[in-house]
Amino acid sequence: MNATVIIIFLVIVAMTLVITYFAAKRTNSASDFYTAGGGLTGWQNGMAIAGDYLSAASFLGIAGAIALFGFDGFLFSIGYLVAYLVVLFVVAEPLRNLGKYTLADMINARFNAKKVRGAAALSSITIVIFYMIAQLVGAGALIQLLFGIDYIWAVLLVGIMMTIYVLFGGMTATSWVQIIKAVLLMLGTVILSFLVLKNFNFNIMEMFTQMKTATPHGEAYLKPGVKYEIPLDTISLMLALVLGTAGLPHILMRFFTVRDAKTARSSVMWATWIVGIFYVMTIFLGFGAAAFVGADLITSTNPAGNMAAPLLAQALGGDVLMSFISAVAFATILAVVAGLVLTGASAFAHDIYGQIIKKGKATERQQMLAARYASVGVSVFSILLAIFAQSLNVAFLVSLAFCIAASANLPVIVYTIFWKKFNTAGAVSAILTGLISALVLVSVSPSVLSPEVGAAIFTGTPLFPLTNPAIISIPLGFIGGFVGTLVSREIDAKKFAEVKVRANTGGFKQL
Amino acid sequence: MAKSITGEVLQGPVTKEGIEVKPVDTRGALEVPDFEKIERSEGFKNLMRKKKLFLIPATALFLGLYLAFNIVISYTNWLDAPIVGDIPWVWVFAFGLFAMTWILVTVYMKQAAQFDKMAEETLGEFGYEEKEDIR
Repeated sequence: MNATVIIIFLVIVAMTLVITYFAAKRTNSASDFYTAGGGLTGWQNGMAIAGDYLSAASFLGIAGAIALFGFDGFLFSIGYLVAYLVVLFVVAEPLRNLGKYTLADMINARFNAKKVRGAAALSSITIVIFYMIAQLVGAGALIQLLFGIDYIWAVLLVGIMMTIYVLFGGMTATSWVQIIKAVLLMLGTVILSFLVLKNFNFNIMEMFTQMKTATPHGEAYLKPGVKYEIPLDTISLMLALVLGTAGLPHILMRFFTVRDAKTARSSVMWATWIVGIFYVMTIFLGFGAAAFVGADLITSTNPAGNMAAPLLAQALGGDVLMSFISAVAFATILAVVAGLVLTGASAFAHDIYGQIIKKGKATERQQMLAARYASVGVSVFSILLAIFAQSLNVAFLVSLAFCIAASANLPVIVYTIFWKKFNTAGAVSAILTGLISALVLVSVSPSVLSPEVGAAIFTGTPLFPLTNPAIISIPLGFIGGFVGTLVSREIDAKKFAEVKVRANTGGFKQL
Repeated sequence: MAKSITGEVLQGPVTKEGIEVKPVDTRGALEVPDFEKIERSEGFKNLMRKKKLFLIPATALFLGLYLAFNIVISYTNWLDAPIVGDIPWVWVFAFGLFAMTWILVTVYMKQAAQFDKMAEETLGEFGYEEKEDIR
């Protein structure tokens, strides 16, 4: 750790604290706390969505994966980007038109039943916890490498920062940290891409020709199949990615921070362009790292390849660029975990405490207090989990979060908006079937059970062949909702008419 | 006479269609219009038709192409051959899916502006006016 890195690092931390200070002054109600008062513009929210999405796993993980596995490393990005069409066409606008703070609000616009809200809050919390552990474990390992401090101190540092942002600045601070981070991340990536292209003489054809011989994989590097060899497993995973985004609670929450469906829509447009352009640039980062750093050095620094981008910065731009990229990675981690804390807190404080226990009658003061207690609770809990989960595979946890989101949340969202006969029993059964089937199938999959000692969490024979169960659990979520609905037979056509009109026109939001 | 967004200024039928105002017990004192009547109105039905006409084929298209791409690259090596120089076809198709996403988003933004107009007209017919979002 040198002086440059410390200075850039401190500047970024100071900047986020200044934001938090000003945001705190404007955070006076539960609506300010959860949704920044709904006052973000399209491009601001689009940047924040992109910021939420481009976690350290995306930035460092994908660059590293492309460096090590070529095309297969890039494959995820396709799913992550196309997923925004599901978000835009299916969930973004109805969610804004029907909901207030959480996904459960939106589903309850139709059912108004405690058990539905409880089930929705449960699946949101489960997804947030998996995603959060993944981010914190990744962050801990990364900061340990970047700044040379112990894993536990690294997790605590990130944990304390995220708690400060959320506790004092709520969604306003979280969103602006997210926006600044998105700008810095794009800037860093553009600089690195430019330097890589310069080294390939700004000739894409030449770049591909050189890459054919630059890695140990030879020609195979540019083709599918280096990393993902089991076809059905790959398809299942890609299905989780494309359908999961539309069910991720921390992404869904971002549609409540704008004033109407029109702004929600334009924020998705902004996010799609930013995320897409970013993913295209990760190809240059990955190729550059493979060509100018080399697979040996990348894997010896970190076996998963997470250090590819910082090492590339070191190789092409020296210590200053390396420090800048490391600081950007740190800002990325902070912004994403802050968004997750807020999402988890909203499920506890708004859904469970405010709506289920207090039956929606909590005073503004009680709501604010509950939100803040819940934020601290979620932070402390996830820091503790992350400290014990150090050895878990980060990529596995993230893909599991996407799988649960696609299986438990997407079916109930689709049915709520589009299916007239859908009812309370169907909603509960859709969420629980998706959630439980995803969890059970994963717990008996090769990611958890492996005959090889030490290759997975437990030693044993996997009962389910795929590492990601999405191809089974997503249909199960839909079937669960269908069967549950038919079994109970209750139907409220009047309520569906209301939901349909409100979801599609944006009118009568106050109801 | 426009209906207030908070629902307190409701005085009998307010448009030529007429809004039947009835209290909803589950929501306390708020009064709501007859949503089934709006749902059955020509304007709303037209909006839903137009939306479906775009969204169903567009969703089928992008999900279909996405799945087809993944199936092809997982089970075959059809796309491994180079298209130009040393760039294999698979990169062209991958970028094609990126381009598809941006194109569909842009087209949808245009379409949605029309949907907004239709929705506004329908709501206006029933005496509803868009006001500041109250939370």
